[in-house]
Amino acid sequence: MRNKKKPSMSIEKQLARGPLDLPFLTLTLLLLGIGLITLLSASYPSGYYRGGNPYDIFIRQAVFAVLGIGVMYVVSRVDYQRWRGLSLIVLMISVVLLLLVKVPGLGSSAGGANRWLEIPGLPRFQPSEIAKFAVILYFSARLSKRKEGTKGPYDPRRLGGRTLNKLHEVGFLELLPYAGVLLLMLGLLALQPHMSATILILVVGASILFAAGIKLRWFIIAGGLMVTLLGLMIATTDYMTTRVQMWRNPWADPLGKGLQAIQSLLAIGSGGLLGLGLGNSRQKFLYLPEEHNDFIFSVICEELGFIGVTLILTLFALLIVRGYWLAMHARDRFGSLLIVGVTTLLAFQVFLNVAVVTNLFPVTGISLPFFSYGGSALLIQLAEMGVVLAVSRQIPAQKSD
Amino acid sequence: MLLAGVFGVATFLILFAKLWKIQIIDHEFYEEKAIAGQTRDLTVSANRGKITDSKGNILAISASVHNVVLSPKDIIERDYDKKVIADGLASILDLDSAKLLQRMEKAKSQYEVIATKVEDDKAEEVRQFITDHKFSRGIYLQADTKRYYPKSSMAAQVIGFVNSDNRGSYGLESLYDTDLAGEKGRIVTSRTASGVEMISGYEAYVDAENGQNLNLTIDANIQAKAQYALETGIEKFEVLEGGFCIVMNPKTGAIYAMVSSPDYDLNNPSSIKDKKKAAELATMKQNADRVLAEEAAKQPSDAATATAETQDNPDAQEEETEKTPGELLMDEYRAALSQAQLAQWRSKAMNDSYEPGSTFKPIVMAMGLEEGMITESSNFFCSGQITVPGWPKPIKCHNHNGHGSQDTRHALMNSCNPAMIQIGQKIGNNTFYEYMKDFGLLGKTGVDMQGEGLGRFWPQDEFKNDIVSLATASFGQRFQITPIGLITALSSVINGGHLMEPYVVQSVTDASGNIIKYHEPTQVRQVISQQTSDLVRSMMESVVGDGGTGKNAFVNGYRIGGKTGTSQTRQEGHLITSFVGFAPADDPEIIVLLAYDHPKPAAPGSTVTSGGYYISGGNMAAPMAGQLIADILDYMGVQKEGGPAASDVIVPNVKGKPLDAAQSALKSAGLSWKLVGKGGTVTDQTPTGGISIPSGSTVVLYLGEEKVTTKVAVPDVTGRTYSAAKKALEDRGLYMKAPRADGTSKMVAFSQSIVADTEVDPGTVVEVRFMDNTVQDYAND
Repeated sequence: MRNKKKPSMSIEKQLARGPLDLPFLTLTLLLLGIGLITLLSASYPSGYYRGGNPYDIFIRQAVFAVLGIGVMYVVSRVDYQRWRGLSLIVLMISVVLLLLVKVPGLGSSAGGANRWLEIPGLPRFQPSEIAKFAVILYFSARLSKRKEGTKGPYDPRRLGGRTLNKLHEVGFLELLPYAGVLLLMLGLLALQPHMSATILILVVGASILFAAGIKLRWFIIAGGLMVTLLGLMIATTDYMTTRVQMWRNPWADPLGKGLQAIQSLLAIGSGGLLGLGLGNSRQKFLYLPEEHNDFIFSVICEELGFIGVTLILTLFALLIVRGYWLAMHARDRFGSLLIVGVTTLLAFQVFLNVAVVTNLFPVTGISLPFFSYGGSALLIQLAEMGVVLAVSRQIPAQKSD
Repeated sequence: MLLAGVFGVATFLILFAKLWKIQIIDHEFYEEKAIAGQTRDLTVSANRGKITDSKGNILAISASVHNVVLSPKDIIERDYDKKVIADGLASILDLDSAKLLQRMEKAKSQYEVIATKVEDDKAEEVRQFITDHKFSRGIYLQADTKRYYPKSSMAAQVIGFVNSDNRGSYGLESLYDTDLAGEKGRIVTSRTASGVEMISGYEAYVDAENGQNLNLTIDANIQAKAQYALETGIEKFEVLEGGFCIVMNPKTGAIYAMVSSPDYDLNNPSSIKDKKKAAELATMKQNADRVLAEEAAKQPSDAATATAETQDNPDAQEEETEKTPGELLMDEYRAALSQAQLAQWRSKAMNDSYEPGSTFKPIVMAMGLEEGMITESSNFFCSGQITVPGWPKPIKCHNHNGHGSQDTRHALMNSCNPAMIQIGQKIGNNTFYEYMKDFGLLGKTGVDMQGEGLGRFWPQDEFKNDIVSLATASFGQRFQITPIGLITALSSVINGGHLMEPYVVQSVTDASGNIIKYHEPTQVRQVISQQTSDLVRSMMESVVGDGGTGKNAFVNGYRIGGKTGTSQTRQEGHLITSFVGFAPADDPEIIVLLAYDHPKPAAPGSTVTSGGYYISGGNMAAPMAGQLIADILDYMGVQKEGGPAASDVIVPNVKGKPLDAAQSALKSAGLSWKLVGKGGTVTDQTPTGGISIPSGSTVVLYLGEEKVTTKVAVPDVTGRTYSAAKKALEDRGLYMKAPRADGTSKMVAFSQSIVADTEVDPGTVVEVRFMDNTVQDYAND
């Protein structure tokens, strides 16, 4: 009865103190743990041979993992409703950051692309990571207020008013802000350029729109447009053409452009059913490019074999399924869309990474969540998980009988 | 929302499918490729096994050398100074710097062998060069082996040699190549992409399995003695086409020595060892080179005229394709060179065949005796010739006056052809042919050597009614057999009838000495009975010991048996003089076949050489072989039979004795003396006591005078009679010891134990061998 004496809290506050979704948390931590172990294995040789401490990469990632867990916890404690108001600001910040990449001294370039920001006092990070989250946030916030079947607000007597109303009724007008945001992002990322981030943002945006009930036909139309555009791009830019060619037949230039794909395939293939055993990858010995980064999955395939990676992918799948489950059971539409965005981002990133390393897709720089080396990315990923957990807190407990 | 979930799961299924395809279905494909990429596969050459003689002396051995390899790819990637590398290596390895630079341009290559078989000292210099300049990634040394033959030409044709890949290409090196070579090993090391070894050592060793060793029956000592006998004879008798010598254990077939001349240096098999031949070839080459150079100098003007000619003479073009005289000379030289090489690589003792001549007669004797067609007491009459039906002329005996009536033993001792023909006729064609087969003379002996030759005998259908061929075959002519075949057959004649399979490899052992294969003596068949064998052996002893054609092979203290032979060839004036001998005659330990191919007659048609040696087996091969047999028996420690020759006495030690006592001691020993100085006591003597010298020799007794120690030169006594030789030696204060003391004038000195002009102490005993220079043992005519 002493509880009653406690100052009464708002419903939101009470809900925000609800239990975290344990399956989701467990799966996240499990993948994070496995990710760290495999990173140690994958990064050791290059650290060793390139001079310096072979544990360096592992230690830094571990530090970020610990920090990330902290961030995840803090974020999960925050009432996610607060993000609603911040969404536009976050979006604007991310746009600014994406622009900053091009500022000499702040943006650092690698391989002809400016994807990294080095702001003094902060760890090096890719603003596209924040952009992804910003898009999720903005879309979720805006779409959660969406009302279907409203009459067109435009005065039919004004010029084009009827047309506008018609467009409103078919659901075209409401899409314009989203399309605008996506096109802005697309444009900014194309400046870097950053293909994988572009794809991810498009897919994530689409997923939220879809989950919010936007009619399928718009996706078909947009998708068709995208495919045509992509086709044109591939056909017109040499850079893309060769990439696709290399994807179709990496053996054409095994020591040059096909190297990454081939070395990755060799690693995966030589893993076989049971793998060479944890720590026993051979391809990680400077053969595989980015062996602790984009291609860490290849090392895992080699070391743990088909069984091992099946297990890991299953864990990812469970996490994703749980994510969608949480989305379906979220207390409100905003929370639901947030989770859909975050989960889809995770799911698609995993899919794309595995697709790239198995040469299902042309090589594009995309990391594997929780596994690839990258402190800031990990931090943001865990923060996103924190958001999901924050939503999960507010899911009303199911009646047990 | 559900749709998204289903879609998500579906996309993951695609991943699983793709992973299944790569990891399970195409696993082996990728694994193979991955391993090929990750590993550096180094072959480790196995150590080629040794070849040793029966006493463990090394005849062939491999030593480690190095190949120098460049990796242009690394050199370029690491930006090494190519010029420094080219110049440095060129100066160490004596290579062309420009060519090295050129090879370093092959940017994709990681393996350019620039020098092979570099020996340790040079390799060390290269290693130092690499360290000094830190070129470790671009230049490396690869271990290899090289074959060395410490005894250079010894048993060259038996051992053979290897090619540059260390694979046997001739002789035992070739025949036993797989045993000797071993298995190449591999070191598969996992390397990082930059070529450094992986830390988590993934390494696989396939150990090189070292080659096995061959332990021969050849005894380096006996081989050397045989070689010496062959070579001295070749020089002494002015032999034009070399010769051969086989020493074998008649009981087992183990070959102790096999020499063939001309031979070659195993360490340099391509160069012609025979000096005369080499000089001849050098002249040919010089000549060819000179003509070629002249042609090259003339070329431009020639070409100009040629084009001018072409216009009015369309045939001129065809002429151009013909070889110039210079090119023809060069071709000729090359052909001669390869012929000379082949000639020195062949073993006359085994690869080639010849007409055995009279050395074949014991075999025919054995056939007749075994078949009971003749007995020891059979009588054969030789009128000096015999008529064979089907042959227009009578066949003559070498003794044109005829041997008269002789028993079987004397027929052999006389090497009488008419007697042999009679025996052959008694045996009959078919039986003779069967025996040829049984003695293994129609096939190969099966000796474990490369390229054993085959003889040539009449086909059975042809031979069965051919009286003339039977007649010639009975004294060993008109058919050919290999020397190894002959000695093997003769071994069976004297060893109790056992035809053994001759062999040269006693055992094959692995690197740690375990015996892998051991050759037990192998009997092919028993051809004749013990009794027949004993009889023929005793008859052959008579050939040497009782004044037969082989008497010059006699060496005092040894029971030597044998048979001489002077074979004809298809070429007029080209004879092969040979002797087959064995000892001890009662229980032979060794059998020797020695032959000289074509001693040069003093003049065409002459029967003697310019050195005065009668061209026959009995005068050339027999004395050489006799001495060889004696030397080998001494070396083998076979007990000499009988003491010194009856005429030899041992000088009593009279030093320090009163003169009277000394004189009476010498007198009773059958020696005379000479006094130097005056006094009552012998203060010194020459020769010193205990030495064996011919009786009647003079001992110098010093009575207080200083002993004369001035050295004297040994005179050359060869060719002199017994008394002349004795006198020549005694004039210098030397003593002659003649194992076959024989004062008859027919005997002339054949050899002396101390080479002429050697400085020796006064009183030294020189052993001189005498021989009968009139032995005739021509097979026919």
